[in-house]
Amino acid sequence: MYRRLVVPLMAVTALLALFAVVSPTGADGQSRGKDAVYANRDVVIRTPVLGTVQLYGGTLVLDEVIHGDLLVISGKVIFGGRGRVEGNLIHAGSTILGAEGRIGGRIYPLASLEGAVSALTKTAIIASLLLVWMVVAVVVTLMSGREIRISSIELRSSALHCFVLGLVAMTSFVLTAIAFSYLVPYVVGIPLLAALGVFGLLTKVYGMIAIFHTVGTLVAGSRTRQQLERRTWLRGDLAMVVVGVLLLGAIRLIPIVGTVLWSLASIFGIGVALATRFGRREPWFLAFRAANA
Amino acid sequence: MTCEDYLEDPEGNASHLASCSICAALEEEVEVRHQPMSVDALPLAPWEGAKYRTWPLVGAGLLAVFTLAIVLSAAAEVSPLTAVTASMPSVKALLTFFQLTGRAMGAPVVAVLFVVINTVLFLLLRRAPKGADV
Repeated sequence: MYRRLVVPLMAVTALLALFAVVSPTGADGQSRGKDAVYANRDVVIRTPVLGTVQLYGGTLVLDEVIHGDLLVISGKVIFGGRGRVEGNLIHAGSTILGAEGRIGGRIYPLASLEGAVSALTKTAIIASLLLVWMVVAVVVTLMSGREIRISSIELRSSALHCFVLGLVAMTSFVLTAIAFSYLVPYVVGIPLLAALGVFGLLTKVYGMIAIFHTVGTLVAGSRTRQQLERRTWLRGDLAMVVVGVLLLGAIRLIPIVGTVLWSLASIFGIGVALATRFGRREPWFLAFRAANA
Repeated sequence: MTCEDYLEDPEGNASHLASCSICAALEEEVEVRHQPMSVDALPLAPWEGAKYRTWPLVGAGLLAVFTLAIVLSAAAEVSPLTAVTASMPSVKALLTFFQLTGRAMGAPVVAVLFVVINTVLFLLLRRAPKGADV
């Protein structure tokens, strides 16, 4: 009975850990050196800050100078008075008001589409990215169709495991990146972070293509041998992947729903890529067994 | 002809039974039922027809997405290439985010979470895949 609870409990644990990592609300009100962290509360800064300021949720009214960077996650920043950021402004899911001419460095949106000004530009970016996904999916399926198919089968046979694995792996990637970022001053952190980034990107790309195959097979896959023989277009791995890209791509164009579904698909994708070891079905770790003399 | 040859191909090396009492006894013990097998009665295997490549569908799909990207990019007055490159998150921003989040959490919390999450990941990765391409 307890075994049934293991996977859901792991999912909840990973979700909580991921939330704690990307939104460290426990650090609210802390001042580490010259830095300040605020979480889920309204703050007015009226005295200059020598270090960086981090805001997770809530509203920040900035009437004085921040000499370091300003990081805002799911919050709102209003510039007023002598309010200015000498470093960079990095934001995700946030509203920034009156920042024009008050940022010494650059403004970086963390989420890719936040930098886009209008809805039309966002849609154009999504469509352009969809073209890249289509080309990459076709090339990868031509090169490793069997591996993609095996991952797709795994996803359909144990979806919950793939989801939990994806969630835990994503949390692990973020935590590992944070751990490696401590090593950046010692130079070794840069190649480690680069390697982690490349591995994460490859995992996501491979996983998403497996998701395309899964969606294509679920929607347009043949159920019987006769049906398969009758078909001229909708058969084979390549066709399933193309159908999956087109369907998920159409969903991606829907505001909010598309973003949520693609985020979920990414979690499933990372999970299935790791669960099947990129479709090779080989164990990640060798089990120790004593040799029989 | 050896017993191994016979076991590898019993029908092709049936004459071996006449000269080997062990294999003859084995043959008598094993009940072989010859039944015609209907392939159509079996469920469709995932690999069946998987190698088939529908180039018209690939071409049509690529053309549709390409047209959509070009039309929307033209309407938004951005080039598709610029749109793709602009959508990539900045490395500097990500690095700063990781460094600042790490600072906010504190090294001990990061260390504990790192060990816990990677232990869970290790345990999950030990499970063998279920789906089989048979």
